[in-house]
Amino acid sequence: MTGQSTALKLLGLCALLAFPLMPFSSEYVLHVAVLIMVYAVLAMGLNVLPGFCDLLDLGYVGFYGIGAYTAGILSLNYDMSFWVVVPLAAALGALCGVLRGAPTLRLSGDYFAIVTFGFTELVVLFLTNEIWLTRGPLGMPGIPPIDINLSWLGIDWRYDFMSETPYYYLGLLMVAFVYVVMCRIEDSRLGRAWLSIKEDPLAAASCGINLMAYKSVAFAFSAAVGALAGCFMARWSMFLAPDVFKFWESFLVLCMIVLGGLGNINGAIVGSVVLIALGEVLRVVLPHFGLPTETRFLAYGLLMILIMRFKPGGIFPAIAATSKKSRLIMDLKARLQAERAG
Amino acid sequence: MFEQQLFNGLTLGLIYALIAVGYTMVYGVIELINFAHGEVYMFGAFLCVTIINSLGVPLFPAMVLAMGLCALMGVSIDHIAYKPLRKAPRLAALITAIGVSIFLQNIAMIIWGSRPVPFTRSAVPAAFSEQAFALGSVSVSGLQLFIYLFTTAMMIGLTLIINKTKVGTAMRALAQNATAAALMGINVNRVIAFTFALGSSLGAAAGILVAMYYNTMSATMGYNAGVKAFAAAVLGGIGSVPGAMLGGVVLGVAETLGAGYVSSQYRDGLGYAVMIAVILLRPSGLLGKSVGQKA
Repeated sequence: MTGQSTALKLLGLCALLAFPLMPFSSEYVLHVAVLIMVYAVLAMGLNVLPGFCDLLDLGYVGFYGIGAYTAGILSLNYDMSFWVVVPLAAALGALCGVLRGAPTLRLSGDYFAIVTFGFTELVVLFLTNEIWLTRGPLGMPGIPPIDINLSWLGIDWRYDFMSETPYYYLGLLMVAFVYVVMCRIEDSRLGRAWLSIKEDPLAAASCGINLMAYKSVAFAFSAAVGALAGCFMARWSMFLAPDVFKFWESFLVLCMIVLGGLGNINGAIVGSVVLIALGEVLRVVLPHFGLPTETRFLAYGLLMILIMRFKPGGIFPAIAATSKKSRLIMDLKARLQAERAG
Repeated sequence: MFEQQLFNGLTLGLIYALIAVGYTMVYGVIELINFAHGEVYMFGAFLCVTIINSLGVPLFPAMVLAMGLCALMGVSIDHIAYKPLRKAPRLAALITAIGVSIFLQNIAMIIWGSRPVPFTRSAVPAAFSEQAFALGSVSVSGLQLFIYLFTTAMMIGLTLIINKTKVGTAMRALAQNATAAALMGINVNRVIAFTFALGSSLGAAAGILVAMYYNTMSATMGYNAGVKAFAAAVLGGIGSVPGAMLGGVVLGVAETLGAGYVSSQYRDGLGYAVMIAVILLRPSGLLGKSVGQKA
């Protein structure tokens, strides 16, 4: 049984790696695949707050925007390499994440939801009005693509990411990296602390868990992942405009993790695949009915209501069980679930 | 100039107060942030204009009709979406609320399109656009005067309902302790439905007034109004009805003065800044009870 599932996983990995070489994978298909990866990273990053800590984040895309514009500005104005920009953007994202969460650290989760509700709009307002920095509504064209330049090693070799294929592999690497980090954190001391805060903050505090410190780490970590996705997106799409980071996008990412099951890392990836694919289909189908493409969010809203009502664990609860996790936590979660049901 | 801004701010603030009251009442009885309230406000404006345009009804009956429809809408939202989740984890209800909000926003976009729509000018009485009275350098239009009178009347009516009637007493009981209220024979679901109806009709009225005041409405207008009305509710102390009224007025005046003297681009961000400041300095708000430490 175990051998079979390992073989299946290997097969899946091979399929993913060979995907761009297949005849049916046109630039468009690869573009959608990369988009899925960006959203998978966003979904995994958002998942930290509502999934692990029970705090509803309604403005997550703000960090995506902060990361993207940091990458855009540093790359355009200072000619920095992607590899230098990533840690800087992630650090800035983390800082903003802590600043945003800090006022609500001592208050109930409702206040956090309220504060995050307007956050995306605040970021968009800043991006639109600080024209000296961001060019405002005109957007930011001409961001250079990612390149690998080994001249600092004394080797005269340079590779520019000119088509979708290299972005596909880099995106795959990024998703894998974030995925592994998330899984490791969920099983770590940090992840257990978050779980206890989520289940019962009062009990957690009385067991000596520093609520404010652990929540701050969650704010920073979640935001840094969002900024990372933004960085990648900026150097991939090579154009930025404030409108990309509207409230709707936060909602879309939230819908992904609700679909996959809150707190479920595998589910976040599945959710992003399903919703981006659905979005692409609706983008083509909706105009046939004479509807604006934004109305695809109607389906997302409905989906969210129905899932919360009928399947609060996400539509694929089986996927959660197949992810490798420490026995201890699995048992604990099962016991908590049983207690809640009974 | 300053006095004029003050009066304009008061107009806006009274409207915010009308929306904020809906948020705070629902939060008081079921401890849920009803994100869909902003959409009810938007529907109020659109329904009113649709009734005027398609049925040829004059403004005031159309307004009452739209408020009634929105009250029905609020009750339906609660009944269909929130009621099944009363015993579910908090997060489930919050996510449902945001889902309802997005859903309604898109329904509106499908029905009325995604572009802004003007308010039907011919239905608005001519006196509204004329100057009603002038105090020194300050000029107040008929519409502004109407907004002052109408919102004040609504607030007084609401205060009377909450403090003097049986259902208002039940609402206050529910806000204090839902279990004890149920044990005392209060029909909890009926009181919650009444709260939604009351809040939604006031929200709808606010939407109609805003649409008349700015002569425009759009399917996405509920989001910004929602953020600001929240800010007002938090400023006044969430759960406190007089607090929401005061918070709305303070926020409206602050926003107008801020736009006039500090930065007009960040006008929409000001409400947010006020909210952060309140949460940092006095989370219980101006008139609210103190909020617990429990995360």
